[in-house]
Amino acid sequence: MTEPLLSVRDLKKHYPIRKGIFNRQVGAARAVDGISFDIAPGETLGLVGESGCGKSTAASSVIHLEEPTSGEVIFNGNGREGATRDPDGTHPNDVTAFDDDELMEFRRGAQMIFQDPSSSFDPRMSVGNAVGELLKVHGMSDRHRRRAIVEDLLERVGLSANDFDRYPHEFSGGQKQRIALARALVLNPDLIIADEPVSALDVSIQAEILSLIDDFQEEFGLSLLFISHDMSVIRQICDRVAVMYLGEIVEIGPVEEIFTDPQHPYTEALLSSIPTPDPRASVGGIELKGTVPSPTNPPSGCRFHTRCHKVIQPEGVEVDQDDWRGLLNFRDNVNAGEVDVEQVRENVAAGGTDPTESEVRAEIRREFDISETVDDPDLERTLSEALDLLIEGESERAGTVLSDAITTPCAQRQPDRTVHAPDHESACLRHEGRAAAEPSPADD
Amino acid sequence: MATEESERFDQVDWNDLSRSGRFDLSINSLGMLLTTLPLALLGVYDWQFTGRRTPTFEFIGLDRGLETIDFFFIFTLLLAFWYLVVPLYQNPRMTRYYWKEFKRNRPAVVSLGWLAIVFVGGLFGPLIMDPPQQELLIAYQPPVFTSVVDTTPATCVGEVVSGQCQGTWQHPLGTTQGGKDVFTMIVYGMTISMQIAFITTTIVAVIGVTFGTLSAYAGGWVDEVMMRFVDIILSFPTFLMFLLILYIYGGGLGMFIVVFSLFAWGGMARYVRSKSLSISEEEFIKASRISGASTYQVIRGHVVPNAASSIITNLTLLIPGFLLFEAQLAFLGIGDSAVPSWGQLISAGRSDLSFAPWIVLAPGIVLFLTILAFNFLGDALLDALNPEAEAENA
Repeated sequence: MTEPLLSVRDLKKHYPIRKGIFNRQVGAARAVDGISFDIAPGETLGLVGESGCGKSTAASSVIHLEEPTSGEVIFNGNGREGATRDPDGTHPNDVTAFDDDELMEFRRGAQMIFQDPSSSFDPRMSVGNAVGELLKVHGMSDRHRRRAIVEDLLERVGLSANDFDRYPHEFSGGQKQRIALARALVLNPDLIIADEPVSALDVSIQAEILSLIDDFQEEFGLSLLFISHDMSVIRQICDRVAVMYLGEIVEIGPVEEIFTDPQHPYTEALLSSIPTPDPRASVGGIELKGTVPSPTNPPSGCRFHTRCHKVIQPEGVEVDQDDWRGLLNFRDNVNAGEVDVEQVRENVAAGGTDPTESEVRAEIRREFDISETVDDPDLERTLSEALDLLIEGESERAGTVLSDAITTPCAQRQPDRTVHAPDHESACLRHEGRAAAEPSPADD
Repeated sequence: MATEESERFDQVDWNDLSRSGRFDLSINSLGMLLTTLPLALLGVYDWQFTGRRTPTFEFIGLDRGLETIDFFFIFTLLLAFWYLVVPLYQNPRMTRYYWKEFKRNRPAVVSLGWLAIVFVGGLFGPLIMDPPQQELLIAYQPPVFTSVVDTTPATCVGEVVSGQCQGTWQHPLGTTQGGKDVFTMIVYGMTISMQIAFITTTIVAVIGVTFGTLSAYAGGWVDEVMMRFVDIILSFPTFLMFLLILYIYGGGLGMFIVVFSLFAWGGMARYVRSKSLSISEEEFIKASRISGASTYQVIRGHVVPNAASSIITNLTLLIPGFLLFEAQLAFLGIGDSAVPSWGQLISAGRSDLSFAPWIVLAPGIVLFLTILAFNFLGDALLDALNPEAEAENA
């Protein structure tokens, strides 16, 4: 196996939450919680996930804009190829341990493109100087040479040399993103991290920028870490995809396999969100209910279990999957005190009739997508009991009853990574029993 | 080896370049350095080698002395030239843009004209005009086009028509009770006003900006301590402090400038801090940090330039306060009576207000116009340089 250009191992970034006069740390927002991936030279890895799942934090930790809490970022570019681990287990190419000079060198090897083209340029600096600033910072003191290089590069990204002296507000969003690409390229890096580079642009401009990135990648053998929440953009540009959920990578694999044969339920849900141009195609929309849990207090076990549509039923239970999901949601909402019986009663009363108890029960079931009778008699009994307690106003006891009876293995055990095909791994308990992922070579 | 260095980004030998020194002086700094050096040498010469009463330029036969405050004034002028005027010339597009925005405010353009007159008059007036002389014989001459009762002036320079002494062009704004020419004194007063304006601005800007950005970037308890220090500065009774120093050491114009500007930067520091904090959240700051720029380079290259418009506006609105305060102190008689400021002139004419009002009115109107002009200018700059407004127009 060839040496990867970038290999990230168990990277974590936690933001401490402090309270009180002594600034005591009371917790941490685990924005990125142990992610690992490799990028080969010339390869494009897509990092995809919902807003707030830690994609951007991962990017700024990898590029060392922020100090990661723990983990390794091993960068083998810039003529540092072929290094082996030191006897004490540290890696000489670990960016997190670089000193100032090495970090300066790393800056020449890895650059970044930002999401918002309007705020990623200093409004008081001409774009030529903004691009040339990098050359200046890295010791090129010859102004004319800087200008010549930047003008050449501006032409290569599809602008004209005269644009050197113009200011950011004189350009459109797409043009600014071209300049951003020029800025990322000017030091001739091996790796570019693109943080949602096209999400602020029109679709037609998106395509132009993407093909421009593609051209440069081919010409200069760049590696790309491409962050996006847009699956169709990912499919267009990436070789491999890593799917992130709440600070963890849940599935990683070649782009074609991920799109044709997604293994993790979250990936399925993401894929079903891509609109298809065929009006007759069945809409396989998988709706994820609820909001993304807070990274300060992530769910136990598999982090996706609070929203997963394929959440596992315990042994001996076999009910309709929608009912099961509804039961779990019901349990969580009751425990959080979010089921307001009075409100439900009013809703029913709005229909014109005086609400009877059975109508209220039916309404609650409907709200949680639970069918009128659950297949499993034990569960049905528990549910009825909980509903009774709830209507009587004893929501705490209802919660206890539900919590005791309704449990899923997903909440109890953290899934390991399983291998489906070479290079295609996912982390879901439903796949346990298949071959576990062998520890990657860089781990030993 | 080819003499022509490659001009493509992918053919730069960085290992070679980054090993060479990072000593890279901009034209502005170079110019500043080259012009400050002779000034500093002259200052040292004046301080060490000429007598206390010997004029600085006696060695070339010029009877002209430079005080410490004059040295400072020239230094601030150089600063303004190299870091304000030259950059405007270097960035013609930006300058044109600002001018277009600025031009829309007519009163401000007139104000700028007036301030230019005061500036040029203050700078060159004393060089071409002799200092006002005491001539008791021609005391109380009226300004040109006006007349007073024949008995008011000792002797009338102009014609006497039916018992009225007519003003002449010899003394366009009349003379004082000592026979000094009011116009000449106003021109000399321009120098004082410009000195106050430039030196206080420089001191306030340098301390305020440094303190503000440091505080914003240090963060944590350093920030806390620095900002509490600013609170102390802001709540300090500067006027009482000035009186105290006046009684102990005696005060001149230099003392006034130093004391008041050393206690006036608090607001500026606070302002710059909050501005820096908001700017440092911007994505272009991240981009600059990823490029490998040091914190100093980021602050100097991005944070200060982006805060500059607000800083300049703030300073413009600060100057009128200083000018007014100097005039008030002079009027109360606690200023330096040897300094020919407008306030001193007003103060000298107040006892003659009933029969020679021009002695008070002429400098009073000039002072009023100057302060008004600074306020107009500040308002217009706020509109022209405001980045938010710019974003809306873009």
